[in-house]
Amino acid sequence: MNLRRHFLEAATLVLAAVLCALVANMLASRERKLALVGSYPNALKINPSASLSSSAADSPPAGSGATALSEVSSKVNGGAEKRPRPAPASIPEATSPAQGSEAKNSSSSPAELLKRFPPHNKPFVEISGDDVAWLFARRVLILDARRTKVYEEGHIAGARSISVWESDVDTKMTALVNEARDGAIPVVLYCSGGDCEDSHMLAQKLFGAGFNNLLVYRDGWPDWQKRGGKSAAGPES
Amino acid sequence: MTPKEALASPWLTVRVQIALGLFFVVAALPKLVDPPSFAHMIYNYRLVPGAFVNLMALAMPWLELLTGLALILGIWSRTSAALVGALLLVFIGAISANLARGNAIDCGCFDVSAANKTVEERLTDMRFVILRDAGMLLMVAQILFSKSRAPLAHPPA
Repeated sequence: MNLRRHFLEAATLVLAAVLCALVANMLASRERKLALVGSYPNALKINPSASLSSSAADSPPAGSGATALSEVSSKVNGGAEKRPRPAPASIPEATSPAQGSEAKNSSSSPAELLKRFPPHNKPFVEISGDDVAWLFARRVLILDARRTKVYEEGHIAGARSISVWESDVDTKMTALVNEARDGAIPVVLYCSGGDCEDSHMLAQKLFGAGFNNLLVYRDGWPDWQKRGGKSAAGPES
Repeated sequence: MTPKEALASPWLTVRVQIALGLFFVVAALPKLVDPPSFAHMIYNYRLVPGAFVNLMALAMPWLELLTGLALILGIWSRTSAALVGALLLVFIGAISANLARGNAIDCGCFDVSAANKTVEERLTDMRFVILRDAGMLLMVAQILFSKSRAPLAHPPA
């Protein structure tokens, strides 16, 4: 009898915890809310940096990329993933998907971007701060995968915030996909460098959504600050 | 008073309950305030299937809070102590598994913000956390021992 009573008490506590959690999550602000069912395909894989693949050599970039792309990482995937991707029929002539009409004013052209960073058909490739500076100067799309509150404290100027840990990640991704960008044009993603994997996770999601040239800034925001790169603070405009 | 009687004394049990309950309430608060960061911590353990990471991040802090409050208030204290013991065993198992495979992580026990620590610092912290949780397990054992010796609140008719 006693055992039954304890079991019922335990079940009540657990049920109450689940109910409180659901209600609290429903009432939480956008930044504190979680999707009930997570989508983290590599949640059981450990020590990702140990599985760096050298298959980057498959598609080395022209130009400076020799070192930059020499570390094609399968950090999140646990192996270089190759699967058929819709290749762009041709290089767009007018605008870079990076910044839309802004790109018209920049000195870069999609051809120049693609020459140095050709589509690699992998979830992501890691690049150095020098490459990011080069891409930044050419106004490519830069995505900040850190939490929104951290983004607001400081981020690469012009970067957009898409945190993989916040409930609106899918909404923001859908909005990005709906902009009908050319998936072959480079997109830079970053988080906090070091063992931060948020940018890799975001890249994997975007790869699944059709982006085919995702470049992860290996050393992330701390490196950008160290370089004195142009930055901004506050919410996304 | 024999050592067993001293160990099971209500004076000691009440204080152990309050201390253990406070530990759990304090541990729950930062996780309740920022569930996405706690989800990130759980993810870092690499032990929970992706689909369950968020659910666990949402429910576990509330379970910690409710069991902690129950211990402090002396409500269902035996059951709460048993649940706290089960949670501690899970924590110890999870951290031990990661120690064994060299996956240095922040435990996310009382703070869910990522600390800028070296691998060695993290591994040291993880060992300390196991010891601390083992200490709390002893507190659980004291409560359960004490309650098992206490006269039944509702003796069988």
